[in-house]
Amino acid sequence: MSDDSRDNEQRGRGRGGSRYYRRPRVDPFEADKAIKIDYKDVDLLKRFLSPEGKIRPRRQTGVNASNQRKLARAIKRARHIALLPYTDETLD
Amino acid sequence: MRNYEITYIIHPDREEAAFKKLNEQVATWVKDGGGKIVKTDIWGKRKMAYEIRKQTEGNYVLLHATMEASAVAELERQLRLQESVMRFMIVSVEEDEKAAS
Repeated sequence: MSDDSRDNEQRGRGRGGSRYYRRPRVDPFEADKAIKIDYKDVDLLKRFLSPEGKIRPRRQTGVNASNQRKLARAIKRARHIALLPYTDETLD
Repeated sequence: MRNYEITYIIHPDREEAAFKKLNEQVATWVKDGGGKIVKTDIWGKRKMAYEIRKQTEGNYVLLHATMEASAVAELERQLRLQESVMRFMIVSVEEDEKAAS
């Protein structure tokens, strides 16, 4: 694969290569049209956050550009009303 | 008229009576602005993802309402003045989302 050299480079820099290694998959929101992106659906949104609470990039999750924008908006709304953390400083 | 979702978080130490009173107050403000509350959804006390005003819990209320766009600013102003409201958010719901749900 033409991407191999870049992946190796990232691992070489000690960034924990496997995090960026994942191949793009099918957009989960296109695969199942019934799923609505909603800021109140915390469990759904959590799947698109890294352990430290960052929004995961599309290259990891396979979400298409349009849905990624909706997702980002929903996550930011959820953060505002304290349904999701801004950082990984958890309460428990 | 547009559809809105109004979410607000009330301080957890407020008593039941004060909580109810505030909800009625919010309803009045919506109506005063020519709006209508379609659905009231009280989530109750819920753990927040981070502390707001040193509190780890908040009393969540979600309202579905139809309001005139021009009335939203006034409602926001009123909510901001309310000491017990720790956080609020007013979001307009798009038509296609409404049709789907």
